[in-house]
Amino acid sequence: MERIKTGILGLDDMLNGGYLNQSANLVEGAPGTGKSTLGMQFIYNGITQFNQPGLILTFEEFAQQYYDDAANFGWNFRALEKANKLRVIMTSPEVSYSDLGNVDGRIEAMIKEIGAQRILVDSLSHFDRLSDDPIERRGMLYGFINSLKREGLTSLLTRESNALIGELENPEEDVAFVADSFVMLRYVEIESAVRKALLVLKQRGSNHAKDIRQYEITRNGIEVQAKFEGREGIMSGSPRRMADSFVEAFVRR
Amino acid sequence: MSDSDPSNPPEWNPASPHKRSGLPGTGDLSRRLMDDMDPEVLEFLKNTVNSFIKWDLVIFFFENPHTTDTIDNIARYIGRDALVIKSDLDDLVRSGVLEQHSTGNLTVYSLTKDAQVREKIKHFVSASDDRQFRVKAIYHLIRGTR
Repeated sequence: MERIKTGILGLDDMLNGGYLNQSANLVEGAPGTGKSTLGMQFIYNGITQFNQPGLILTFEEFAQQYYDDAANFGWNFRALEKANKLRVIMTSPEVSYSDLGNVDGRIEAMIKEIGAQRILVDSLSHFDRLSDDPIERRGMLYGFINSLKREGLTSLLTRESNALIGELENPEEDVAFVADSFVMLRYVEIESAVRKALLVLKQRGSNHAKDIRQYEITRNGIEVQAKFEGREGIMSGSPRRMADSFVEAFVRR
Repeated sequence: MSDSDPSNPPEWNPASPHKRSGLPGTGDLSRRLMDDMDPEVLEFLKNTVNSFIKWDLVIFFFENPHTTDTIDNIARYIGRDALVIKSDLDDLVRSGVLEQHSTGNLTVYSLTKDAQVREKIKHFVSASDDRQFRVKAIYHLIRGTR
Protein backbone atom coordinates (compact mmCIF):
# COMPACT_ATOMS: atom_id res chain seq x y z
CA MET A 1 0.00 0.00 0.00
CA GLU A 2 1.49 3.34 -1.04
CA ARG A 3 2.44 5.57 1.87
CA ILE A 4 2.73 9.34 1.92
CA LYS A 5 5.44 10.04 4.43
CA THR A 6 5.17 13.10 6.62
CA GLY A 7 8.94 13.17 7.02
CA ILE A 8 8.35 14.10 10.66
CA LEU A 9 10.70 12.37 13.04
CA GLY A 10 8.82 9.66 14.91
CA LEU A 11 5.41 10.30 13.35
CA ASP A 12 5.83 8.09 10.29
CA ASP A 13 6.72 5.19 12.58
CA MET A 14 3.52 5.79 14.53
CA LEU A 15 1.59 5.83 11.25
CA ASN A 16 3.13 2.53 10.19
CA GLY A 17 5.12 4.22 7.44
CA GLY A 18 3.03 7.32 6.73
CA TYR A 19 -0.44 8.33 5.65
CA LEU A 20 -2.26 6.33 3.03
CA ASN A 21 -2.22 7.81 -0.46
CA GLN A 22 -5.18 10.14 -1.19
CA SER A 23 -6.42 9.93 2.36
CA ALA A 24 -7.89 12.69 4.53
CA ASN A 25 -6.08 13.05 7.81
CA LEU A 26 -7.30 15.03 10.76
CA VAL A 27 -4.98 16.67 13.29
CA GLU A 28 -6.80 18.13 16.26
CA GLY A 29 -5.44 20.13 19.13
CA ALA A 30 -5.70 23.21 21.30
CA PRO A 31 -4.14 26.52 20.24
CA GLY A 32 -0.36 26.35 20.37
CA THR A 33 -0.09 22.59 20.21
CA GLY A 34 1.50 22.82 16.76
CA LYS A 35 -1.26 21.79 14.34
CA SER A 36 -0.30 24.33 11.70
CA THR A 37 3.40 23.62 12.24
CA LEU A 38 2.78 19.92 11.71
CA GLY A 39 0.78 20.74 8.59
CA MET A 40 3.42 23.08 7.19
CA GLN A 41 6.07 20.45 7.88
CA PHE A 42 3.99 17.85 6.04
CA ILE A 43 3.85 20.17 3.02
CA TYR A 44 7.48 21.32 3.23
CA ASN A 45 8.87 17.81 3.61
CA GLY A 46 6.63 16.61 0.80
CA ILE A 47 8.15 19.16 -1.56
CA THR A 48 11.76 19.02 -0.45
CA GLN A 49 12.16 15.34 0.46
CA PHE A 50 9.64 13.54 -1.72
CA ASN A 51 9.17 15.91 -4.69
CA GLN A 52 5.43 16.17 -4.03
CA PRO A 53 4.17 19.73 -4.57
CA GLY A 54 1.56 20.99 -2.16
CA LEU A 55 -1.12 23.54 -1.42
CA ILE A 56 -1.94 25.32 1.79
CA LEU A 57 -5.57 26.33 2.03
CA THR A 58 -5.93 28.74 4.91
CA PHE A 59 -9.17 30.03 6.32
CA GLU A 60 -7.71 32.24 9.02
CA GLU A 61 -4.11 33.33 8.56
CA PHE A 62 -2.75 35.53 5.80
CA ALA A 63 -0.24 33.94 3.44
CA GLN A 64 2.37 36.29 4.88
CA GLN A 65 1.91 34.64 8.28
CA TYR A 66 2.77 31.25 6.81
CA TYR A 67 5.85 32.63 5.07
CA ASP A 68 7.02 34.14 8.36
CA ASP A 69 6.17 31.11 10.50
CA ALA A 70 7.84 28.78 8.02
CA ALA A 71 10.92 30.98 7.89
CA ASN A 72 11.31 30.52 11.65
CA PHE A 73 11.96 26.85 10.97
CA GLY A 74 14.23 27.60 8.02
CA TRP A 75 11.59 26.68 5.44
CA ASN A 76 11.57 29.13 2.55
CA PHE A 77 7.96 29.05 1.34
CA ARG A 78 8.41 32.06 -0.92
CA ALA A 79 11.12 30.26 -2.86
CA LEU A 80 8.93 27.16 -3.14
CA GLU A 81 6.07 29.29 -4.50
CA LYS A 82 8.40 30.85 -7.04
CA ALA A 83 9.52 27.37 -8.06
CA ASN A 84 5.84 26.42 -8.58
CA LYS A 85 6.02 23.74 -5.92
CA LEU A 86 3.71 25.46 -3.44
CA ARG A 87 0.64 27.66 -3.36
CA VAL A 88 -0.62 29.34 -0.21
CA ILE A 89 -4.28 30.16 -0.79
CA MET A 90 -6.14 32.34 1.66
CA THR A 91 -9.85 31.92 1.16
CA SER A 92 -13.01 30.91 2.99
CA PRO A 93 -14.67 27.53 3.50
CA GLU A 94 -17.76 28.56 1.52
CA VAL A 95 -15.73 29.63 -1.51
CA SER A 96 -13.43 26.60 -1.46
CA TYR A 97 -16.38 24.25 -0.99
CA SER A 98 -18.18 25.84 -3.92
CA ASP A 99 -15.02 26.15 -6.03
CA LEU A 100 -14.10 22.48 -5.66
CA GLY A 101 -17.70 21.44 -6.16
CA ASN A 102 -17.83 23.07 -9.58
CA VAL A 103 -16.02 22.24 -12.77
CA ASP A 104 -12.82 24.15 -13.63
CA GLY A 105 -12.59 25.97 -10.34
CA ARG A 106 -9.60 28.07 -9.35
CA ILE A 107 -8.33 25.65 -6.73
CA GLU A 108 -8.53 22.77 -9.16
CA ALA A 109 -6.58 24.87 -11.67
CA MET A 110 -3.85 25.52 -9.11
CA ILE A 111 -3.67 21.83 -8.22
CA LYS A 112 -3.11 21.01 -11.88
CA GLU A 113 -0.77 23.94 -12.43
CA ILE A 114 1.79 22.75 -9.87
CA GLY A 115 0.90 19.05 -9.87
CA ALA A 116 -0.03 19.16 -6.20
CA GLN A 117 -0.18 15.87 -4.35
CA ARG A 118 -0.57 17.19 -0.82
CA ILE A 119 -2.77 19.78 0.81
CA LEU A 120 -2.97 21.39 4.23
CA VAL A 121 -6.41 22.72 5.14
CA ASP A 122 -6.08 25.07 8.11
CA SER A 123 -8.53 24.79 9.68
CA LEU A 124 -11.71 22.76 9.29
CA SER A 125 -13.16 24.50 12.36
CA HIS A 126 -14.24 27.32 10.05
CA PHE A 127 -16.74 25.01 8.39
CA ASP A 128 -18.74 25.31 11.59
CA ARG A 129 -20.03 28.70 10.47
CA LEU A 130 -21.51 27.34 7.24
CA SER A 131 -24.46 25.67 8.87
CA ASP A 132 -26.02 25.31 12.29
CA ASP A 133 -27.29 21.88 11.34
CA PRO A 134 -24.67 19.24 12.25
CA ILE A 135 -26.00 16.80 9.67
CA GLU A 136 -25.79 19.35 6.87
CA ARG A 137 -22.35 20.40 8.07
CA ARG A 138 -21.12 16.84 8.11
CA GLY A 139 -22.45 16.42 4.57
CA MET A 140 -20.54 19.50 3.45
CA LEU A 141 -17.35 18.25 5.09
CA TYR A 142 -17.80 14.87 3.49
CA GLY A 143 -18.25 16.50 0.06
CA PHE A 144 -15.26 18.78 0.61
CA ILE A 145 -12.99 15.93 1.71
CA ASN A 146 -14.08 13.79 -1.21
CA SER A 147 -13.33 16.62 -3.64
CA LEU A 148 -9.75 16.68 -2.30
CA LYS A 149 -9.49 12.92 -2.83
CA ARG A 150 -10.96 13.28 -6.32
CA GLU A 151 -8.09 15.64 -7.13
CA GLY A 152 -5.63 12.99 -5.99
CA LEU A 153 -4.54 14.88 -2.89
CA THR A 154 -3.44 13.48 0.42
CA SER A 155 -4.79 16.00 2.87
CA LEU A 156 -3.89 17.08 6.34
CA LEU A 157 -6.85 18.80 7.95
CA THR A 158 -6.43 20.73 11.18
CA ARG A 159 -9.16 21.35 13.70
CA GLU A 160 -9.22 23.45 16.83
CA SER A 161 -9.96 21.87 20.15
CA ASN A 162 -11.54 24.10 22.76
CA ALA A 163 -10.13 22.18 25.68
CA LEU A 164 -6.61 23.21 26.58
CA ILE A 165 -6.17 20.17 28.76
CA GLY A 166 -8.40 17.14 29.06
CA GLU A 167 -11.17 15.28 27.31
CA LEU A 168 -13.24 16.51 24.43
CA GLU A 169 -16.73 17.52 23.58
CA ASN A 170 -19.48 16.89 21.01
CA PRO A 171 -18.34 13.54 19.66
CA GLU A 172 -21.52 13.23 17.60
CA GLU A 173 -20.45 16.19 15.45
CA ASP A 174 -16.95 14.92 15.10
CA VAL A 175 -15.33 15.21 11.73
CA ALA A 176 -13.21 12.26 12.87
CA PHE A 177 -15.99 10.12 11.39
CA VAL A 178 -15.28 11.34 7.88
CA ALA A 179 -11.49 11.51 8.19
CA ASP A 180 -9.34 8.47 7.41
CA SER A 181 -6.94 9.10 10.25
CA PHE A 182 -7.10 11.08 13.43
CA VAL A 183 -4.14 12.46 15.36
CA MET A 184 -4.77 14.19 18.67
CA LEU A 185 -2.38 16.74 20.12
CA ARG A 186 -2.79 17.50 23.81
CA TYR A 187 -1.21 19.46 26.60
CA VAL A 188 -0.52 17.36 29.67
CA GLU A 189 0.55 18.43 33.10
CA ILE A 190 3.31 16.36 34.66
CA GLU A 191 4.99 17.42 37.87
CA SER A 192 3.96 21.05 37.49
CA ALA A 193 5.19 21.30 33.93
CA VAL A 194 3.15 21.36 30.73
CA ARG A 195 4.26 18.92 28.08
CA LYS A 196 2.79 17.95 24.75
CA ALA A 197 1.37 14.55 23.90
CA LEU A 198 0.47 13.00 20.54
CA LEU A 199 -1.80 10.04 19.91
CA VAL A 200 -2.81 8.38 16.66
CA LEU A 201 -6.40 7.61 17.51
CA LYS A 202 -7.29 5.90 14.26
CA GLN A 203 -5.96 5.12 10.81
CA ARG A 204 -8.48 3.53 8.53
CA GLY A 205 -7.17 0.50 6.65
CA SER A 206 -3.84 0.41 8.43
CA ASN A 207 -2.19 -0.49 11.65
CA HIS A 208 -0.77 2.32 13.77
CA ALA A 209 0.96 2.89 17.09
CA LYS A 210 -1.39 2.85 20.05
CA ASP A 211 0.88 4.49 22.58
CA ILE A 212 0.94 8.13 23.56
CA ARG A 213 4.14 9.94 22.70
CA GLN A 214 5.70 13.15 23.85
CA TYR A 215 6.63 15.64 21.20
CA GLU A 216 8.34 18.99 21.02
CA ILE A 217 8.32 21.87 18.62
CA THR A 218 12.01 22.38 17.97
CA ARG A 219 13.77 24.83 15.67
CA ASN A 220 13.49 22.13 12.97
CA GLY A 221 9.76 21.63 13.45
CA ILE A 222 7.92 18.90 15.30
CA GLU A 223 9.84 15.95 16.67
CA VAL A 224 7.96 13.03 18.16
CA GLN A 225 9.84 11.49 21.04
CA ALA A 226 9.48 8.65 23.52
CA LYS A 227 6.20 7.44 24.91
CA PHE A 228 5.12 8.46 28.39
CA GLU A 229 6.47 5.66 30.55
CA GLY A 230 4.86 4.61 33.80
CA ARG A 231 1.91 6.99 33.58
CA GLU A 232 -1.72 6.68 32.71
CA GLY A 233 -4.55 9.07 32.03
CA ILE A 234 -2.25 11.12 29.76
CA MET A 235 -5.05 12.32 27.48
CA SER A 236 -7.08 13.43 30.47
CA GLY A 237 -4.47 16.15 30.82
CA SER A 238 -3.51 15.14 34.36
CA PRO A 239 -1.73 11.81 34.21
CA ARG A 240 -1.07 9.76 37.30
CA ARG A 241 1.75 7.44 38.02
CA MET A 242 0.60 3.90 37.31
CA ALA A 243 1.75 2.90 40.79
CA ASP A 244 -0.65 5.48 42.28
CA SER A 245 -3.51 4.08 40.23
CA PHE A 246 -2.64 0.58 41.37
CA VAL A 247 -2.75 1.72 45.00
CA GLU A 248 -6.06 3.53 44.38
CA ALA A 249 -7.58 0.51 42.65
CA PHE A 250 -6.42 -2.29 44.89
CA VAL A 251 -4.68 -1.28 48.09
CA ARG A 252 -7.19 1.33 49.29
CA ARG A 253 -10.24 -0.82 48.63
CA MET B 1 -13.14 61.83 -5.15
CA SER B 2 -12.84 65.42 -6.26
CA ASP B 3 -14.09 66.15 -9.74
CA SER B 4 -10.96 68.18 -10.49
CA ASP B 5 -7.82 66.52 -11.78
CA PRO B 6 -5.53 66.27 -8.77
CA SER B 7 -2.44 66.40 -10.95
CA ASN B 8 -3.51 69.69 -12.48
CA PRO B 9 -4.76 71.85 -9.62
CA PRO B 10 -6.11 75.40 -9.99
CA GLU B 11 -3.77 78.29 -9.28
CA TRP B 12 -3.49 79.76 -5.82
CA ASN B 13 -6.30 82.27 -5.29
CA PRO B 14 -6.36 84.23 -2.02
CA ALA B 15 -9.95 85.20 -2.64
CA SER B 16 -11.12 81.60 -2.40
CA PRO B 17 -9.01 79.97 0.32
CA HIS B 18 -11.04 76.75 0.35
CA LYS B 19 -10.05 76.04 -3.20
CA ARG B 20 -6.36 76.61 -2.85
CA SER B 21 -4.10 73.79 -3.79
CA GLY B 22 -0.70 75.16 -2.91
CA LEU B 23 0.98 77.58 -0.57
CA PRO B 24 1.53 81.20 -1.63
CA GLY B 25 5.03 81.74 -2.83
CA THR B 26 5.88 78.03 -2.83
CA GLY B 27 4.31 77.07 -6.14
CA ASP B 28 2.29 73.90 -6.47
CA LEU B 29 3.41 71.74 -3.55
CA SER B 30 1.59 68.72 -4.81
CA ARG B 31 3.14 68.95 -8.23
CA ARG B 32 6.58 69.42 -6.74
CA LEU B 33 6.04 66.42 -4.51
CA MET B 34 5.02 64.27 -7.43
CA ASP B 35 7.72 65.50 -9.79
CA ASP B 36 10.36 63.07 -8.62
CA MET B 37 7.98 60.12 -8.51
CA ASP B 38 8.39 57.29 -11.00
CA PRO B 39 5.94 58.22 -13.81
CA GLU B 40 4.60 54.67 -14.06
CA VAL B 41 3.94 54.48 -10.34
CA LEU B 42 2.43 57.96 -10.34
CA GLU B 43 0.12 57.02 -13.20
CA PHE B 44 -0.92 53.86 -11.32
CA LEU B 45 -1.55 55.90 -8.19
CA LYS B 46 -3.56 58.55 -9.99
CA ASN B 47 -5.64 56.31 -12.18
CA THR B 48 -5.91 53.01 -10.35
CA VAL B 49 -5.10 53.20 -6.64
CA ASN B 50 -6.78 56.54 -6.12
CA SER B 51 -8.33 55.82 -2.72
CA PHE B 52 -7.12 54.43 0.57
CA ILE B 53 -9.45 51.45 0.27
CA LYS B 54 -8.06 50.59 -3.15
CA TRP B 55 -4.58 50.87 -1.72
CA ASP B 56 -5.54 48.42 1.05
CA LEU B 57 -7.10 46.06 -1.49
CA VAL B 58 -4.11 46.17 -3.84
CA ILE B 59 -1.72 45.45 -0.97
CA PHE B 60 -3.95 42.62 0.26
CA PHE B 61 -4.15 40.91 -3.12
CA PHE B 62 -0.45 41.44 -3.76
CA GLU B 63 0.38 39.69 -0.49
CA ASN B 64 -2.28 37.01 -1.04
CA PRO B 65 -2.12 36.52 -4.81
CA HIS B 66 -4.03 33.23 -4.77
CA THR B 67 -6.99 34.50 -2.77
CA THR B 68 -10.40 34.09 -4.30
CA ASP B 69 -13.20 35.25 -2.07
CA THR B 70 -16.48 37.05 -1.61
CA ILE B 71 -16.83 40.73 -0.89
CA ASP B 72 -17.87 40.02 2.71
CA ASN B 73 -14.78 37.95 3.42
CA ILE B 74 -12.41 40.33 1.63
CA ALA B 75 -13.86 43.18 3.69
CA ARG B 76 -13.19 41.16 6.83
CA TYR B 77 -9.62 40.42 5.76
CA ILE B 78 -8.79 44.12 5.36
CA GLY B 79 -10.83 45.13 8.39
CA ARG B 80 -13.47 47.18 6.61
CA ASP B 81 -17.17 47.02 5.93
CA ALA B 82 -18.41 45.23 2.80
CA LEU B 83 -20.65 48.14 1.83
CA VAL B 84 -17.71 50.52 2.09
CA ILE B 85 -15.41 48.53 -0.19
CA LYS B 86 -17.95 47.54 -2.85
CA SER B 87 -17.44 50.44 -5.26
CA ASP B 88 -13.64 50.36 -4.90
CA LEU B 89 -13.59 46.62 -5.51
CA ASP B 90 -15.66 47.12 -8.65
CA ASP B 91 -13.38 49.96 -9.79
CA LEU B 92 -10.38 47.65 -9.45
CA VAL B 93 -12.20 45.07 -11.57
CA ARG B 94 -12.88 47.73 -14.23
CA SER B 95 -9.25 48.86 -14.18
CA GLY B 96 -8.07 45.27 -14.67
CA VAL B 97 -6.37 44.80 -11.30
CA LEU B 98 -8.92 42.26 -10.10
CA GLU B 99 -11.17 39.72 -11.77
CA GLN B 100 -14.73 39.02 -10.79
CA HIS B 101 -16.33 35.68 -11.44
CA SER B 102 -18.93 33.30 -10.12
CA THR B 103 -18.59 30.01 -8.34
CA GLY B 104 -21.90 28.34 -7.63
CA ASN B 105 -24.13 31.15 -6.42
CA LEU B 106 -21.22 33.19 -5.04
CA THR B 107 -19.61 36.20 -6.66
CA VAL B 108 -15.90 36.15 -5.94
CA TYR B 109 -12.90 38.34 -6.63
CA SER B 110 -9.29 37.46 -7.32
CA LEU B 111 -6.13 39.08 -8.58
CA THR B 112 -5.75 39.41 -12.34
CA LYS B 113 -3.61 36.86 -14.11
CA ASP B 114 -2.33 39.53 -16.49
CA ALA B 115 1.45 39.53 -16.01
CA GLN B 116 1.84 43.18 -17.03
CA VAL B 117 -0.71 44.40 -14.52
CA ARG B 118 0.83 42.21 -11.84
CA GLU B 119 4.20 43.79 -12.60
CA LYS B 120 2.71 47.26 -12.18
CA ILE B 121 1.24 46.23 -8.85
CA LYS B 122 4.58 44.84 -7.75
CA HIS B 123 6.25 48.08 -8.76
CA PHE B 124 3.69 50.13 -6.84
CA VAL B 125 3.89 47.97 -3.70
CA SER B 126 7.64 48.04 -3.82
CA ALA B 127 7.56 51.85 -4.05
CA SER B 128 5.12 51.89 -1.10
CA ASP B 129 7.82 50.41 1.09
CA ASP B 130 9.54 53.78 0.98
CA ARG B 131 8.30 56.22 3.63
CA GLN B 132 8.86 59.28 1.43
CA PHE B 133 6.77 57.72 -1.29
CA ARG B 134 3.98 56.91 1.17
CA VAL B 135 3.92 60.48 2.47
CA LYS B 136 3.62 61.85 -1.04
CA ALA B 137 1.04 59.29 -2.08
CA ILE B 138 -1.05 59.92 1.02
CA TYR B 139 -0.91 63.65 0.37
CA HIS B 140 -2.01 62.98 -3.18
CA LEU B 141 -4.92 60.79 -2.07
CA ILE B 142 -6.06 63.26 0.57
CA ARG B 143 -6.10 66.01 -2.02
CA GLY B 144 -8.01 63.74 -4.34
CA THR B 145 -10.74 63.16 -1.78
CA ARG B 146 -11.33 66.86 -1.09
